[in-house]
Amino acid sequence: LNAAPRRAPRQHVRFLPAPGDGGGTELVATRVPVLADHPLVRGPRFRRLKMGAGHRLDVKSSGVFVLGIGHGNKLLTDLYNCHLTKVYTVGGLFGKATDDFSDTGKLVEKTTFDHVTREKLERILAVIQGTNHKALLLHSNIDMRTQEAYELAVKGLIRPMGKSPPIITAIRCLQFTLPEFQLEIHCLHETQQYLRKIVHEIGLELKSSAVCTQVRRIRDGVFTLEDALPRTQWNLQSIQNAIGDCQLRVKTEIEKTIG
Amino acid sequence: RGAGAMWRALSGARWPLPALSRGLAKSAGPRSARHLREEEEAAPVFQYAGKAARRKDRVFVWGFCYSGALGVPSFVKPDVGWKKPRRIQATPYRLETEEKISSAACGYGFTLLSSSTTDITKVWGMGLNKDSQLGFQRSRRDRTKGYEYVLEPSPVPLPLEKPQQTRVLQVSCGRAHSLILTDSEGVFTMGNNSYGQCGRKVVEDETYGESHLIHQLTEFDSRVVQVVCGQDHSLFRTKKGAVYACGWGADGQTGLGHYNITSVPTKLRGDIAGVNIIQVSSYGDCCLAVSDEGDVFGWGNSEYLQLASVTETTQVNVPRHLPFKIGKIKEAACGGTGNVVLTEEGNVFVWGYGILGKGPNLIETAVPEMIPPSLFGWSDFNPDIRVAHVRCGLSHFAALTNRGELFVWGKNLRGCLGTGRMEDQYFPWRVTVPGEVVDVACGVDHMVSMVKSFT
Repeated sequence: LNAAPRRAPRQHVRFLPAPGDGGGTELVATRVPVLADHPLVRGPRFRRLKMGAGHRLDVKSSGVFVLGIGHGNKLLTDLYNCHLTKVYTVGGLFGKATDDFSDTGKLVEKTTFDHVTREKLERILAVIQGTNHKALLLHSNIDMRTQEAYELAVKGLIRPMGKSPPIITAIRCLQFTLPEFQLEIHCLHETQQYLRKIVHEIGLELKSSAVCTQVRRIRDGVFTLEDALPRTQWNLQSIQNAIGDCQLRVKTEIEKTIG
Repeated sequence: RGAGAMWRALSGARWPLPALSRGLAKSAGPRSARHLREEEEAAPVFQYAGKAARRKDRVFVWGFCYSGALGVPSFVKPDVGWKKPRRIQATPYRLETEEKISSAACGYGFTLLSSSTTDITKVWGMGLNKDSQLGFQRSRRDRTKGYEYVLEPSPVPLPLEKPQQTRVLQVSCGRAHSLILTDSEGVFTMGNNSYGQCGRKVVEDETYGESHLIHQLTEFDSRVVQVVCGQDHSLFRTKKGAVYACGWGADGQTGLGHYNITSVPTKLRGDIAGVNIIQVSSYGDCCLAVSDEGDVFGWGNSEYLQLASVTETTQVNVPRHLPFKIGKIKEAACGGTGNVVLTEEGNVFVWGYGILGKGPNLIETAVPEMIPPSLFGWSDFNPDIRVAHVRCGLSHFAALTNRGELFVWGKNLRGCLGTGRMEDQYFPWRVTVPGEVVDVACGVDHMVSMVKSFT
């Protein structure tokens, strides 16, 4: 960044002595650059960069992680207040139960799982979605007896715009090959450990046990996997391109939700 | 050995003492990955459900408890002295039953549950029994008297000819009478008969309480396949598609062309003559019938605009075809002041008066209005959710989806909605039941649901 060309130095008018016509010195008005703007005086333009992080992603998970640089930090708070949903791909494994709900934890119990079918899993997911939908409507703090609550419920736009416990807005099974399965979860205000706990509880409901093998965030509000930069692309050019690409989308989203 | 030790001690030699063995204790320190894996493989495997585990059938009840209609005696008379009687059960409560319940019906303060078993006891009743709507429930304290309130599901004694062969198909309850449909012995009626709703001649000054009389009806053009109780009238639908009615007719709900009472089931004519009717419904004073072609017919009370699409009069005593252009109709349900129908595409239409389910602004309409499917859980994420059944109580509605979810809306009279809140619900709201809801019966202030467990 510091190697990039700088802003041209300011110019000001100085009256400098110069040899005039016929001997003697005269004061001539000349435009010279301000000495204070000289690179050797100023030093490097950027010594520190302010970076802020968006929604947390813990050590055992992977996926989209939003960062803000400089002025983008203010946009980060606005995006947080938009309360947009995040989408995760959660991988699970039947047959084991561990103390921290992931497959690297201490084993608590092993169970059989040959009675588990995709149909039973889908039934459990439907009921999870149903109860979370109810929680969505309840925590959104709207009076259910008004006509506008009815209209928002029809459009599906009701969601909590303040603090609330984790809520799953949609959940579905992407793959099911015993003993592994993969779920896609759309959620609000959650933590990755909560998602692992959900996998554990699904195992319990199915009269077996399950651990979570993978939590991967594939979408965070307006940012999807396609916008995300992998480790090999953490250079100035790609970062600048990425910022440019998403600026418009972030602005429209914030205006739409907060106004 | 002792001599050696003594010698060592005496000589003061400083041998390195043998390492103290720690017996069975394991060494501390980080477990290697191999140790962890071996331990895991050696751990025992527990089995909670076998491969042939069956889903269990359960019954859940909720609503007003003091009438005993929920069938849980501890709500009315707590078994512990310090507990207070529970007036309202606001969320679904599991009711233990001896057999799998195939049909349930909620009347005005009482409930009937029936099972399609060939055992002697096929029907259980609970709740109000002041008019013997649950049959004669012999009191244990005095063998000559009967109970006025039944707090627990008690067997209803039916005078069957072949009790170990006949099966009970369906039960239905009205305000103070009930109908039980069997597969080979016709229809049994019990309860109040002051308007002939039990299908027998009205006896002046008859006392209906503690009565042993259960009437049997077999005179129909073909086998009866559905029985429906209105508030004080009864409707019977036969296999040939005909509808019979008896009982109170002052609002024309018997549909027989007059406003008098009828004490013998008589066939209905009017617009449904010759039409193959596949479903009849009634709960208040209005009746709806659905034909196999998807048309809906109505008769009875129209004070709340239920039949205003065909007539201005407030009572219609002959079945009239309701010309709605909403598609082929699959099922209809009638409430006290509002009606609901379900079309073949899975859309729900409501009309009438009261809280209809489209927000607080829609109070009355004569033309059916559709409830948006997104309120029943339909979305781009779940495009194949459909409403499978609709049911009506006196002032509330219920809808069952194909995923087994129950949605209710309407007036929350004494907690009958089961949402856990006491406020009226102006648009469909999910009831959290721990299982897949197979069927639901709505009453005035309580509801009963038949549920299959998840696994």
